[in-house]
Amino acid sequence: MKTLRLMTVGGVIAYRALFNWTTPGMFIGTLLVGPLFQLLFFAYLGRQLQVADDRFYIVGNAVLTASLACVFGGTMAVANERRFGTLGHVLLSARSRTAIFWGRVLPYAGNGLLIAVVTLTVGALLLGLRVPVRAVPGLLLAMAAGSLTCGFFGLTLGALGLRFRDVWVVSNVSVALLLLLTGVNVPASGLPGWMRAVGEWLPITHAAEAARRIAAGDGLAAAASPLGQELLVGAGYAAAAVVLLKIFEVESRRRASLDAL
Amino acid sequence: MLAVGTLLHAKQMSRSPFEVVLALVVPVVQATLAVYLFRSGGEQHRLLEAAVGAGVMGVWSSVLFGSGGAIQNQRWQGTLEMIMLAPRRPVLVILPITVATGLTGIYALLATLVWGHFLYGIRLDFAHPVAFVVAAAVCVVALGLFGLLLAATFVLMRNANALANTLEYPVWLVSGMLVPITVLPSWTSPIAAVLPTTWGARALREATSGGPVWPSVAVCLAISLLCLTVGALALTHVERRARAAATLALA
Repeated sequence: MKTLRLMTVGGVIAYRALFNWTTPGMFIGTLLVGPLFQLLFFAYLGRQLQVADDRFYIVGNAVLTASLACVFGGTMAVANERRFGTLGHVLLSARSRTAIFWGRVLPYAGNGLLIAVVTLTVGALLLGLRVPVRAVPGLLLAMAAGSLTCGFFGLTLGALGLRFRDVWVVSNVSVALLLLLTGVNVPASGLPGWMRAVGEWLPITHAAEAARRIAAGDGLAAAASPLGQELLVGAGYAAAAVVLLKIFEVESRRRASLDAL
Repeated sequence: MLAVGTLLHAKQMSRSPFEVVLALVVPVVQATLAVYLFRSGGEQHRLLEAAVGAGVMGVWSSVLFGSGGAIQNQRWQGTLEMIMLAPRRPVLVILPITVATGLTGIYALLATLVWGHFLYGIRLDFAHPVAFVVAAAVCVVALGLFGLLLAATFVLMRNANALANTLEYPVWLVSGMLVPITVLPSWTSPIAAVLPTTWGARALREATSGGPVWPSVAVCLAISLLCLTVGALALTHVERRARAAATLALA
């Protein structure tokens, strides 16, 4: 129970502290309006090229939009602690590192889910996509799974920030690569085998597939397999983040470079 | 002064691994995405157009984030007061920064073309090669002048970063860089018509696949000169207001 409290309450407090500089205007502009235009861009491009139907682009991109908040948020959860000079205090805590950092991911995942829901709703209304009401719970589940996996992926990148100085390059390139490799914008059959193989190990790929099946009315059972795969990928990144954070923490203490920017 | 200033700022931006990696890698990822999308749609004959479109998208991103934050970046570096102390009009000291962002954006255009040629075998068979070079140069300068207007207006806003983040995809979309304007809702046409990005992208597309390049180049230049005039006036206003209120160095 205490661990759960540490993860949830601690995560929310850290989120508020690390993002005290943000404003409603910044949140809406960056995390709601920007992703919506991303969806419209690819939906119109897809329409023009007749690669796939609207559902493919609207549902896929709605799931993908969570990545912006989750990947950058997860990265900031570690990188900004160092930038603001508070990483040492976090690491002095007597509580479990795993619980502390996994807890950090929860608000970002919630944020990602909110963005995905808003983008899907507005995108569907603007482009005239009808989503069956019975598909809503399943869609929420798929978007939540994608957001959580993205959050752990971001945390893994953030862990790299303890070792490499310019972690923002990695985050920006990663977000761009998700556009290409997750099969959200180019159907997997149109990508070369190695790109498909890499995509299998990235967040969003399976969540987008699950969401598309659910939105098509196939039911939750049909989406169970990709949903399971997405959660498995998320668990892999969660474990990788903890291991990397441990290794780089030990290394930073040994080299006295914890706060070196 | 403009040439030396532009060169100086372009060199300074090229020193940042962050800027260079993003200018080279992200447009290449977008070009790859465009290539596979066009291939999936059976439009193999338009791959060069897709590569050029992805490159122009990179130029716009460079100008949007570089010029939009030009004054703020100088402020953070502690050099804003010094450049404003120069015995020249503010436009003459800020314009080189915004043109430099367009110039570094050329990395993106070159990277997508080189990438497309060597990896996907896209033949660099431009319908009007000379016009393409001219159109690229005009596009860079025009976007730099548009960047001046962004720099002058963004500095007045508290949430300029949010606006910059918001404007990337809409301008890619409305300017027809990859998606033809004709497939968009008709209400977007007037917006597209007043953006220099629309005419710059159109000039490059016509130079690539054939069409009347020069009218688009002329309209692009005319709109960007208007941006220069409005941007210069706005900058003078911003500078006077900041001096009077003693807020030049304050965010």
